[in-house]
Amino acid sequence: MPPLSLYIHTPWCVRKCPYCDFNSHERGELPEQAYLEALLLDLEKDLLITGERTVETIFIGGGTPSLMSADFYQQLFAGIRARLPLADKAEITLEANPGTTEAARFEGFRAAGINRLSIGVQSFNDGHLQALGRIHDAQAAITAANQARSAGFDNLNLDIMHALPAQTPEQAIADLEQAIALKPTHLSWYELTIEPNTVFYRSPPSQPDSDSMADTEQAGFALLNQAGFERYEISAFSQPGMACRHNMNYWQFGDYLGIGAGAHSKLSSHDTHGNLVITRYQKTRKPEDYLAAPAQARRNPQFIDGKDRLFEALLNGLRLVDGISLQTLKRTTGLNPAQWSPQLAPLQQQGLLTTNDERLRCTPNGLQHLNGVLETLAETL
Amino acid sequence: MTDISNIRNFSIIAHIDHGKSTLADRFIQVCGGLSERELKEQVLDSMELERERGITIKAQSVTLYYKARDGETYQLNFIDTPGHVDFSYEVSRSLSACEGALLVVDAAQGVEAQSVANCYTAIEQDLEVLPVLNKIDLPQAEPEAVINEIEEIIGLDAMDACRVSAKTGVGIDDLLEQLVERIPSPEGNRDGDLQALIIDSWFDNYLGVISLVRVKHGVLKKGDKILVKSTGQTHVVDQLGIFTPKRTETKQLEAGEVGWVSGSIKDIHGAPVGDTLTLAKTPNVDALPGFKKVKPQVYAGMFPVSADDYEDFRDALAKLTLNDASLFYEPETSDALGFGFRVGFLGMLHMEIIQERLEREYDLDLITTAPTVVYELLLSDGATIYVDNPSKLPEGNKIEEFREPIARVNILVPQEYVGNVISLCVERRGSQINMQYLGKQVALTYDIPMAEVVLDFFDRIKSVSRGFASMDYAFERFEATKLVRVDVLINGDKVDALAMICHMDQSAYRGRALCEKMKELVPRQMFDVAIQAAIGSKIIARQTVKALRKNVTAKCYGGDVSRKKKLLQKQKEGKKRMKQVGNVEIPQEAFLAVLKVDD
Repeated sequence: MPPLSLYIHTPWCVRKCPYCDFNSHERGELPEQAYLEALLLDLEKDLLITGERTVETIFIGGGTPSLMSADFYQQLFAGIRARLPLADKAEITLEANPGTTEAARFEGFRAAGINRLSIGVQSFNDGHLQALGRIHDAQAAITAANQARSAGFDNLNLDIMHALPAQTPEQAIADLEQAIALKPTHLSWYELTIEPNTVFYRSPPSQPDSDSMADTEQAGFALLNQAGFERYEISAFSQPGMACRHNMNYWQFGDYLGIGAGAHSKLSSHDTHGNLVITRYQKTRKPEDYLAAPAQARRNPQFIDGKDRLFEALLNGLRLVDGISLQTLKRTTGLNPAQWSPQLAPLQQQGLLTTNDERLRCTPNGLQHLNGVLETLAETL
Repeated sequence: MTDISNIRNFSIIAHIDHGKSTLADRFIQVCGGLSERELKEQVLDSMELERERGITIKAQSVTLYYKARDGETYQLNFIDTPGHVDFSYEVSRSLSACEGALLVVDAAQGVEAQSVANCYTAIEQDLEVLPVLNKIDLPQAEPEAVINEIEEIIGLDAMDACRVSAKTGVGIDDLLEQLVERIPSPEGNRDGDLQALIIDSWFDNYLGVISLVRVKHGVLKKGDKILVKSTGQTHVVDQLGIFTPKRTETKQLEAGEVGWVSGSIKDIHGAPVGDTLTLAKTPNVDALPGFKKVKPQVYAGMFPVSADDYEDFRDALAKLTLNDASLFYEPETSDALGFGFRVGFLGMLHMEIIQERLEREYDLDLITTAPTVVYELLLSDGATIYVDNPSKLPEGNKIEEFREPIARVNILVPQEYVGNVISLCVERRGSQINMQYLGKQVALTYDIPMAEVVLDFFDRIKSVSRGFASMDYAFERFEATKLVRVDVLINGDKVDALAMICHMDQSAYRGRALCEKMKELVPRQMFDVAIQAAIGSKIIARQTVKALRKNVTAKCYGGDVSRKKKLLQKQKEGKKRMKQVGNVEIPQEAFLAVLKVDD
């Protein structure tokens, strides 16, 4: 049985951002105790599917997970450990938003066992932060990063966005410089993308044109590279050896279990004939529905078969600069990738894909046009 | 059952916007054909498309009962006619079922060219034409001047013309009285052998072919075994009746009446328009003259975006041709676009409507290539051929003489816009045949190359005259001229579907303009796209669509794969109306870029 990653969703925010299409809801007082019990009930039900597997990574996302107390996490991890084994060196990440934390809280999170913090900074420009509907200012973000470090978080990610409404290329680069100055081990640097079902989708802000975005991006890549950050995925950069293990598992088509409102799971198992079976499902989205019946939260189970497996694996794996190894593809999909070489050949001839060292990856040009590559794969696979 | 002497069959001849549909609605209301609730605006324009565009494309009919002042009840059969210049052929079809016509003229705008042409058709078909002045309630109405125009331009006595407002209802009763008084009743022998003319046919998924017929002689009853003269096939009448305007079943249709018939005819060509129906037991009844076959004026290639839709596309075209005799199609193969059809249309509006109907009613995604007229070529070996597709043009050295079709265009325009209209005609390579001042309007006659007329001349003439000029055109002759084919190359490969034929003097300019327009319309892709125009092997213009520098969804974290898939799906939807030519995605609009070079 492959190792397991665990995703825990906390669905609440102080205020919903106009660009956010995640399962997050505004709420004053949080039902911590009820949610804790619900998560553990949810997990227990899922253990019947996952079987006995060691959890290698935990990622707590949201919403705003840093709104929950350190005590909540202390109890949650105790509950998890009581139900399934957690690896000694498990990576445990918590998403935190500036403006929802103070020094003491960070210390509590660290003491609870969280060893990686991902701070949603987005920008260090107060005007742009306001345009994004963030509740914090630039100073709060800097303070949060410093406090996190003092609290013992030596593995620290900052989320930074560019292509913001009315942002100049210089401002985008200035944000990146400020982020680098805070010495994180990891940076997620990506452009603001307008998603359906968001405020921005209904009234879109003006963004830089795609050529200007590409210029900014090239300048940013150079700057990050100079500062020792390696680009290992479309928009993920890390100091050597500090790639996010939890996300790497998603990108390499690994297994993960999601608990909490709206969380997604992907699990592989074997049927009685020893054939690989891949199942996806999700948990009911609305927090109140989830709280009402956490043991019956599972929705939309789906079996992923045949070429869909390969497509999903590539949808994720080709985002990685190093691509995905053919062996991993074979193991996680149960298919022989060689069988699909006629479909991959045209993309190789166009200089968009390569297979070197037993890995399938995008060329630098292919990475820049990944949507086009995936579209072709969706049609030809 | 109505005595034949109490039947009146009539059409309304009117220019677009002169109020034909409103008048029809008013008749229906006065005669109680529909309850208030049912009386939707412009009930006769039944196709969704017709209502949206506010025009009539297909003939429709309605049977009404009017109690006249003489105490008699008359059966009025109103057969609707299309109003757009592209559809004038449909008018003669509708008129063939009538003994009279109302010529409706906007009392503020005066006579328009197309009404003149239709009016002449009615007079040729021996119809009694009653002039009617509509919109009499408008403050700018000038009935006296318009009466003069009718008399001068058409030569019709208009002194007694009814003055009505279809909108307010003023004068409608008087008009109905005049109608029953002056339009003759049909002649026909109800005891004779059945002879009925098919005015229109269309396909209904439940009933099969439904035909609109005018019974000339005899009686048509439910259960009759009928014979379609041209096919020799016999069918049993399942249902028949009239439109009130709802389709209403009756027991029989008698000589002089107009109504619908269905006989479970599943073959869509089972009841051709213009054909004659009789009873199976009287196969020797004479066939009626039918209708003049109309020739398409413009041809375009139509190709399904997905090759899987080819069969459905062919079936859809077959169904549309059933009641659209002017629609012509034959298979076409394009190197760039694959299998499709070469389709002939009466004009651009006709083409747009067919394309929209195919897409809406038959759920097809189609690529249409730029329309072209039919050219006559005299080859070096003495043969004369006709070419409706630029890519089928023989080599230049095999062509002895290149002839293009010339249209005779009749235009009526208020004096203040005559200068603009003349400039437009000159710009379109027109030569003046006649010019005559008639009251407030000027009648212009020009010979203009058909290619210059069919594309956007109608829209242009409207725009240079603030909507006041009107026109009518017909094919006149072929004339030798200097024409060349301009090819378009995408990344060095000639794309047959983009070739155009144009006048040599305009070729350099048109080629340049076409490349510029294409550059705007072809989206940026993963690589540079070179767009070139060439005459023979000589490149006359070039544009480059620079490669898109990136196309990748930035942050795509988390375990929700469906979200990532949806993003891709959305991207694909956006390319629905694109055709892959080689490596290059070309959107539908780019194939029609040649139409937009004058914008």
